[in-house]
Amino acid sequence: MNALLQKVYDFVDERIDLKTLEAKMMREPIKGGSRWAYVFGSCLLFIFIMQAVTGVLLMFYYIPSADHAYASTQFIIHEVDYGWFILSYHFWGSSAMVVMVFAHMSQVFLWGAYKTPREMTWLVGLGLFGIVMAFGFTGYLLPWDQRAYWATTVGVEIMDKTPVVGDFLARFLKGGPTPGQMTLSRFFVIHVMILPAALMGLAGLHLFLFRSAGPAGPFRGTSDELKAKTDFFFPRQVWKDIVAMAAVFLAICSLALIEPVQLLEQATPDPGDYHPEPEWYFLFLFQLLRWKVFSGEFGQFLGAIAIPGAFMLLLVALPFIDRSPERNIFKRPIALLSWAVVTIGILVLTVSAILNREFLD
Amino acid sequence: MASMQPKIKSKVRCTDGEIGEVAHVIADPLSLEVSHIVVRTNGTERQVPVSSIGAVRDDLVELLCNSSQVAGFPELKREDFLTSKEVEIPHLENRIHVEPGEVLVPFPELEKSCARRSFFTGFIYVIGVLIGLPLVWPVLRFVMKPMYAPYDNRWLKIGNVSKIKAEDVGVQFIFKKSFKDSVLEREEDKNHWVVKATPETLQKIYKNGDLSFYDEKGDVVWVNKQTVPYVAFAGKCPHLGCGYKWRSHKTRGQVFLCPCHLSIYDAAGTVLDGPAPRPLDVLPIKISATGDIEVIDVEYKAGKKEQVRLA
Repeated sequence: MNALLQKVYDFVDERIDLKTLEAKMMREPIKGGSRWAYVFGSCLLFIFIMQAVTGVLLMFYYIPSADHAYASTQFIIHEVDYGWFILSYHFWGSSAMVVMVFAHMSQVFLWGAYKTPREMTWLVGLGLFGIVMAFGFTGYLLPWDQRAYWATTVGVEIMDKTPVVGDFLARFLKGGPTPGQMTLSRFFVIHVMILPAALMGLAGLHLFLFRSAGPAGPFRGTSDELKAKTDFFFPRQVWKDIVAMAAVFLAICSLALIEPVQLLEQATPDPGDYHPEPEWYFLFLFQLLRWKVFSGEFGQFLGAIAIPGAFMLLLVALPFIDRSPERNIFKRPIALLSWAVVTIGILVLTVSAILNREFLD
Repeated sequence: MASMQPKIKSKVRCTDGEIGEVAHVIADPLSLEVSHIVVRTNGTERQVPVSSIGAVRDDLVELLCNSSQVAGFPELKREDFLTSKEVEIPHLENRIHVEPGEVLVPFPELEKSCARRSFFTGFIYVIGVLIGLPLVWPVLRFVMKPMYAPYDNRWLKIGNVSKIKAEDVGVQFIFKKSFKDSVLEREEDKNHWVVKATPETLQKIYKNGDLSFYDEKGDVVWVNKQTVPYVAFAGKCPHLGCGYKWRSHKTRGQVFLCPCHLSIYDAAGTVLDGPAPRPLDVLPIKISATGDIEVIDVEYKAGKKEQVRLA
């Protein structure tokens, strides 16, 4: 058997130079050695692959029509063997994706890894961040339940407030003046075709840029110390990556088992007793818009478009503003403070949105 | 000669003695074999074909010819060659083991004409644009088809005033609305709120007098008379489009409250608190002799100070 495998390997190697490919993929020296801090990117790739697999499976039964989306999702949950699990895995996988994106971006930010010569990797990474959020936003319309309907209604009304293109963008996404079948069709196509293609392309580019510019390595240590600890991507880093992936897999499975997806009532323009609320990772923005300072037409533009937009622009400009070569986070007080403020801000807003629920009932 | 791997900087010896060293190796891009070695001798670099090589040893290449024959070989024109790094020739570097970058391959004759290169570049762009350009308008129209549907000015029966027991209280009317959604014949639950207004509340709602409603062309579709005490508010919150409710508030008493972003309105639809930019939207309303309520399901854009009609 081994001899046969060797023959197959040699056959392929002779034609496409497998050995060089292998060396390029696996033997990347990791400055300062493999670390647990470097597992987030690989975990994201793993989560994405699992989302793609579970997503394709869900499409075996899901019907993207306003008349049938809800019923077919119920069918997946209640009739299809392990349908509840596949759907719940996909649901919790999306949350894991958002958490992991935050961890990955934080690591890159705190390690100062966005600095020269890795600016382009950072920029493409921000594009990927946008795609992940768009995945979340387009994904939860698809079950066509109350949460889906209202989150989409509000989300699209927010986009409508974008200057100049807002009205066109909102109508384009809704596929009409008001939400309906065309909205579902468009969100479906965006969710299952456009975003996956975009993500695969950009993730490939992200990896290519990462490998071209090289990993940043630790932010401390002399070059001799770093050299002494340097190892290859394979096997030590790959080992850490796979352990982290297994942990992520277990966490998502556990969540799917403990809290399987429950649909709310079917979508309708009458909310009934339901208090509309977006997915938890959009809660901070939702809560922000409840503030008095963001009231009125201008306040709303400020809170929903200008501030998030300015924050994204700041992230885009970051490697070009912050040109100091210093990467040690303990010598970058402004960076550390900004990260803490943003993180605590998001936490506080999310928690207060959750506390507000009680006040509504 | 498949196994011939002359090394860079090997000494080169002719039949009449040593004449220099190997400066480059030239490969044939089709056969992936060494076709020439470039010998650096007396300050010139000459291309010696492999047929003139007798043997390749460690650090030494023995030629079959003498030094005056070597002087007759053509000089290397460096601009006629590329290094193996500058072109994509699969397997070349695996077949010829010399220092990478030192393997030269001939620059194809057809690639040397600059005028043609820029012509082709321009041509490629022009054809690309010619393919793409005619698609822009049809594709744009294709995706825009449902985006600007005409207003729906049908009157819909939503219930009877007998449901309303008190003045200045929000009463919800849930009704079925049938409509064509692309090819689907759909029916949706919708909801609007009707208030039987006291004269003071009516005054607040119609502070600018009777309220007119218009179609796309700006023609009046209906006028709400300020003398009619029944007022219908669209069920969509003018803040960001959620569904609001009539409920009691700790300090403000009975109000319309939107659970999304906590906008609060009084029975006249006036904003009391929260982020809403304008009062609740009044709908065209008709009350029949038997008390049946009919409305036009006018929908406005949320989040605007002014009413911008969507449907």
